[in-house]
Amino acid sequence: MIATVITLIARRLVAAIPILLIVSALLFCVLRALPVDPAAMSLPPNATIEEVEAKRKEMGLDKPLVQQYAIWLKGALHGDFGASIQFRRQAGTLVASTLPATIQLAVAAMAIAGILGLAGGLVLFRLRGTLLEPVADLLSILLLSIPEFLWGLILLFVFGVLLHLLPFTGAVAPGLPIPHVTGFLLLDALLIGRLDIFLSACQHLILPSIALGLAFSPTIMRVLRSSLFDVYHEDYITQARLRGLSEQQVLIGHALKNAALPTLTLAGVQFGILFSGTLLVEVIYSYPGMGNLMVDAVRNADLPLIQTIGLTYCVVVLIINTAVDSLYVVMNPKLRVR
Amino acid sequence: MAGPLLRALRSPRVSIALGMILGIVFCAIFAGTIAPHDPGDQNLLSILTPPVWADGGDPSFLLGTDSLGRDVLSRLIYGARTAMLVAVFASLGAMIIGTILAHISGYFGGVIDWIIGRAVDIWMSFPPVILSLILMVGLGVGLSKVILAIILVDWTRFCRVLRSEVLIVTRNDYVAAARLLGFTHWQTITREVLPATLPLLITLISLEMAIAVVVEAILSFVGLGVGADQPAWGQMIADARQYVYQSPWNLLLPVIAIFLTVAAFNVLGDGLRRTLDVRLSETGR
Repeated sequence: MIATVITLIARRLVAAIPILLIVSALLFCVLRALPVDPAAMSLPPNATIEEVEAKRKEMGLDKPLVQQYAIWLKGALHGDFGASIQFRRQAGTLVASTLPATIQLAVAAMAIAGILGLAGGLVLFRLRGTLLEPVADLLSILLLSIPEFLWGLILLFVFGVLLHLLPFTGAVAPGLPIPHVTGFLLLDALLIGRLDIFLSACQHLILPSIALGLAFSPTIMRVLRSSLFDVYHEDYITQARLRGLSEQQVLIGHALKNAALPTLTLAGVQFGILFSGTLLVEVIYSYPGMGNLMVDAVRNADLPLIQTIGLTYCVVVLIINTAVDSLYVVMNPKLRVR
Repeated sequence: MAGPLLRALRSPRVSIALGMILGIVFCAIFAGTIAPHDPGDQNLLSILTPPVWADGGDPSFLLGTDSLGRDVLSRLIYGARTAMLVAVFASLGAMIIGTILAHISGYFGGVIDWIIGRAVDIWMSFPPVILSLILMVGLGVGLSKVILAIILVDWTRFCRVLRSEVLIVTRNDYVAAARLLGFTHWQTITREVLPATLPLLITLISLEMAIAVVVEAILSFVGLGVGADQPAWGQMIADARQYVYQSPWNLLLPVIAIFLTVAAFNVLGDGLRRTLDVRLSETGR
């Protein structure tokens, strides 16, 4: 089984190379088509035309597009993604310093989406054939109509503004120092033994992660319900019933395990979308992650930074998809035989 | 085709959703007549007025005013126009490109299918929100740019789902029979394959309109949408987010508007899917 998984991962990684090359080339072309001049932008406004020209030469902007891409690619392979125009720091460093916060948020949100999706799916399924079924079904469609962006605003309004229960800006309370060990705030706070920072960081994570989790749970609910429906047509369910198992035992012990597989695949696909959903939630809650950095870069037409962040999102999504596929092989015995 | 559509309309859910959509469309078309004020008119003497039912409300601004003293109700109505324009044109554009490529891909198969399939893969390896943001940087702000960005991002949704449908339809005997009767490829696709994929297409359009409304709101919210001179719900939210303590209604009203619109399209799409009974994956979003 391990061999199968390794082959699968290796094959996916090899397949990812051309995808990343094409994606980065496309990104490069789109961003170079902009009517902005990175050279002029990286100089003070009183720079002379000669200075701008010299800078253009230095940045390689006078060369043909293909050659520019080759230069960028060579740098990227050595870990040099160019310097951000507005921050005057390496784009790679900036991304590396904000990525952990985004990962933390995405993982917390995925856990919440998973729990809500599982519970909701089971409830939806148990309501089948009852008078409440159409109501619950409609409710799940309405839930599906609230994207993370609206949940973010609704939760901010209810719990932050109206009830004053939870903080809704930043990653920790203002005034608290931000430890830098691994980059993952929750972990770092524990590592340096500051429980106050840890608790504050947890509080600040609650609203953004719930907003994101709530937006992705209805899809999981609906898929879990429909795969439970499929599973209940199988003979082994009838057999389990004939053996005298209670409805609860049949559902949890037999049906859920088998229905989990398609749900898991979907949850994996969702995780990729959820990861990019962090962007808006971060903007709404001023959460210092990669999404906020991206919006900042986009507003200031900071091309090297946009390119690096865009590519990072792609890489993360590719990694998530590969991980989900391997997990699928691990969980599904039928796929292990080759 | 007409039969199942009428059957869909008989479901109360679908008719309520359709009624809501027609209401929003009505607001969008007659915005100039029904809006009490010009959406851009600034009344700096009465900024952040609460709605008429709250303390200090002004009857001439039924839903209050924003931070520049612009009438919220009028901006909501004009915002509906922006949202509907984007929803209709973006989903039609995405549908046309996606449908054409899906039919070519599924009908001819082989190398063409492989190339289109890989293009869709690469496109989809980009998270939609990120891709639309990057495209907006390249295109610049404006209503037509938002529509174009959504088309460029979302054609893949149509292409992927429809392609598998085309693949199934193409295997039917009547398609082979059409070819044997001397139909050209073009005739076979337009007269035999396309009508069979139409139910799925209608459902997809309804769902895509919901997505387009959300994407437009998102882009306007981050300031890369239709531009400052055009009222948009996302923009109203971004403005209200800064004054959320002073005038919470300004935040809630556009949120409610977006939710109702998206929900109406989703309920309609779901209702159509049930009655038209097509294979549609649950990953509709």
